[in-house]
Amino acid sequence: MKTVLAIGILLICSACTSMGVEPWERDVLAKDEMQLTTDALEAATDDHIYFSKEASSGGRGFGGGGCGCN
Amino acid sequence: MSRSKERSISVALATATCGLLGSSIPAVVDAQEEPNWDINTSLLYYGEDEDRVQEFSLKAIIRRLYTDDRVFTFGLTIDGLTGASPSGAIPLDSPQTITNASGNSVYTVPAGELPLDEEFRDTRVAITANWQQPVGESSQVNIGASASKEYDYLHFGLSGRFSKDFNKRNTTVSAGFAVASDENDPEGGAPIPLSSLLDIGDLSNHLGTDDKDIVDVVLGVSQVISRNLVVQANYSFSNESGYLNNPFKILSVVDATTGDTISRVAGPGGGPSHEFLFENRPNDRSKQSLYTQAKYYMDGNVLDASYRYMTDDWEIDSHTIDLRYRWPVGNDKYLEPHLRFYTQTEAEFYRLSIIDGAPLPVYASSDYRLGDFDAMTAGLKFGWKTSDNNDMSVRVELYQQSGSIPGGQIIGNQAARNNYPDLNAIIAQFSYRFKR
Amino acid sequence: MGSPCELLCELESSRDAEMMTAIVAAEAWRIEEKLSRYIDGNIIHQINSANGKPVEVDSETAQLLDFAETLFSLSEGAFDITSGVLRGAWTFDGSDNIPARPEVEALLIHVGWDKGNWQSPVLTLPGNMEIDLGGIGKEYAVDRAVNILRADSDKPFLVNFGGDLAVTGPPQARKAWTVGIEAVEQGEATQLIELRQGALATSGDARRFLKRDGVRYGHVIDPRTGWPVEEAASSITVAADTCTQAGMLSTLAMLKGASAESFLDKQSEQYWCHR
Repeated sequence: MKTVLAIGILLICSACTSMGVEPWERDVLAKDEMQLTTDALEAATDDHIYFSKEASSGGRGFGGGGCGCN
Repeated sequence: MSRSKERSISVALATATCGLLGSSIPAVVDAQEEPNWDINTSLLYYGEDEDRVQEFSLKAIIRRLYTDDRVFTFGLTIDGLTGASPSGAIPLDSPQTITNASGNSVYTVPAGELPLDEEFRDTRVAITANWQQPVGESSQVNIGASASKEYDYLHFGLSGRFSKDFNKRNTTVSAGFAVASDENDPEGGAPIPLSSLLDIGDLSNHLGTDDKDIVDVVLGVSQVISRNLVVQANYSFSNESGYLNNPFKILSVVDATTGDTISRVAGPGGGPSHEFLFENRPNDRSKQSLYTQAKYYMDGNVLDASYRYMTDDWEIDSHTIDLRYRWPVGNDKYLEPHLRFYTQTEAEFYRLSIIDGAPLPVYASSDYRLGDFDAMTAGLKFGWKTSDNNDMSVRVELYQQSGSIPGGQIIGNQAARNNYPDLNAIIAQFSYRFKR
Repeated sequence: MGSPCELLCELESSRDAEMMTAIVAAEAWRIEEKLSRYIDGNIIHQINSANGKPVEVDSETAQLLDFAETLFSLSEGAFDITSGVLRGAWTFDGSDNIPARPEVEALLIHVGWDKGNWQSPVLTLPGNMEIDLGGIGKEYAVDRAVNILRADSDKPFLVNFGGDLAVTGPPQARKAWTVGIEAVEQGEATQLIELRQGALATSGDARRFLKRDGVRYGHVIDPRTGWPVEEAASSITVAADTCTQAGMLSTLAMLKGASAESFLDKQSEQYWCHR
């Protein structure tokens, strides 16, 4: 699993040098609503609710601990 | 020089400048100091049906913005929880009396009802602090600390993250590391795993506190694909070791043929009416997950889609799909429908009940969160700009879990009962974000 | 302009950006060629080498001289384009090299706009007097560039000539241009300003000073005394409709010494003052 992922990430990286935009083409990407985490508070809220109700956590960020609810 | 004369200088200067630069009327200056503070606050209500968990939560994330992209972030959460939580025991056709986890009282569950531990009541305060700063032209470092305290639980954590931009900042690669140490200190002490629930006041199977340590590693890459599309992929590894049981969760000890819980005679001071054991989970768990996310901009609308695959060495596999669609309404309002689909397989040691007389399993838990279930969230958020250009939003979501017991685990009379505690919850959140 | 100049723009094509940059650069060089006192043969050179004879100037220079005269009277002589000769006595290199009083007095004879005769378009200056439009030229060039850009395009631009800057409008991707004001000693921005419309100009340079017997002499010279303004701020940034207005207000505030803030408070423009 780990090796496959490492190779996967490397492949993505070598492919991506030809992707993307020039600095002056970031008008859309610079918008608040285009940030990967638009609403940090809502993300934290959801992470906490699902952490306490499901067996999975993390993914977007760190998944560990901090609550006796699980 | 008099005040009026000094004041007239800027007026005279404006006239003179107009003469110098020609008659073109320039636009009026609009300059404003960039805010140093970005303050996010919210009030959350989370409520499960059938008198299960109700939670009110106040949250704030306060960001102090310094020049040169340095940011200090402080987070505060205050949660108040009340209500009941499934104990893990199965329903019966007769009433059952169960000692609560702290061993100092009993509660009685009516016939046919799923046993809920009524005692659940807690306040939790959590704080986080994070410092972010650039290193050189294209890298960034984050260091953070977190702590939280509940009545019976204490958490401390540290984290660090390094990210580097490549390829005209179209590619960002990051690596993060976090450690945490949590201490479980349930009232009466943490129960000995797989020991029986005893009469009121008998704490001989309760030990002191128990700790767990958590290590997290996240490796991520985000990539701008085009002017309208950005994607991200994270690989996470997480290991928890130490006391991973839930001290409140029990299992029913059942007859191998009828599937009914074995009766027990309570002591004179009161105690459980049936045989129950405290759960036991392995003292080590390693999870791996792959998280992918895409954000796509379509003529003002934004689609945010993510998928997460998680697998762990308790043999739980899960898939999560999360979809949000931001749909502007007018200039400064938007609607955002949200759909989330989740499914997980049960842990290898998940079992509905323990068979009397059979060899005791090494690990056993009937915590519904370790079972086989699907969940779905459907919600709608409405956001708007206030007159002073701050952001407000309200969202309401419904969360629903429905699980099933693995076929081979249902014995005798259990087949006629609803053993899996389906869950319906409502999530309502109001958020206010302002800058100054 | 003796300092880095840049044009920031938000455009669809790099060709447009190159074209607009070329237009702005051409205008900046035209103004520099015309107004720099270091270039032989231009109008400033003609005036400064006229040796008492009248010089007829073109209309653009005439407008600049009109403007300089207005400022001279508004500032009661504190802003004076003939004050450049005092640089012969003062070299602000951080040393204790304070000139002798007679040396300053001797130069002061050749300072004073009111000693000349300005009857537009003819300027007559006594011999040994010089003018220097450096205190106006950069801001003027920024505003000229902005006017040209506004006439040619409705896209957002930011023109920055050595820290004096103006915009033609807010960028679309973000709500404003973000401009950092540096505290000179630290070399890093201490305040970020969101500029949507208008101009910012800064006066002052904390690195240029003299020091003797514990007294610090900043580089702003009062042309009426020939000596540095006492207790001048180390830098003053002003926001105004045009770069010229912003620049002149920050210069005049600089000349006010300790009362710069109270002067600016009365001008109803935003400012940021470092001491």
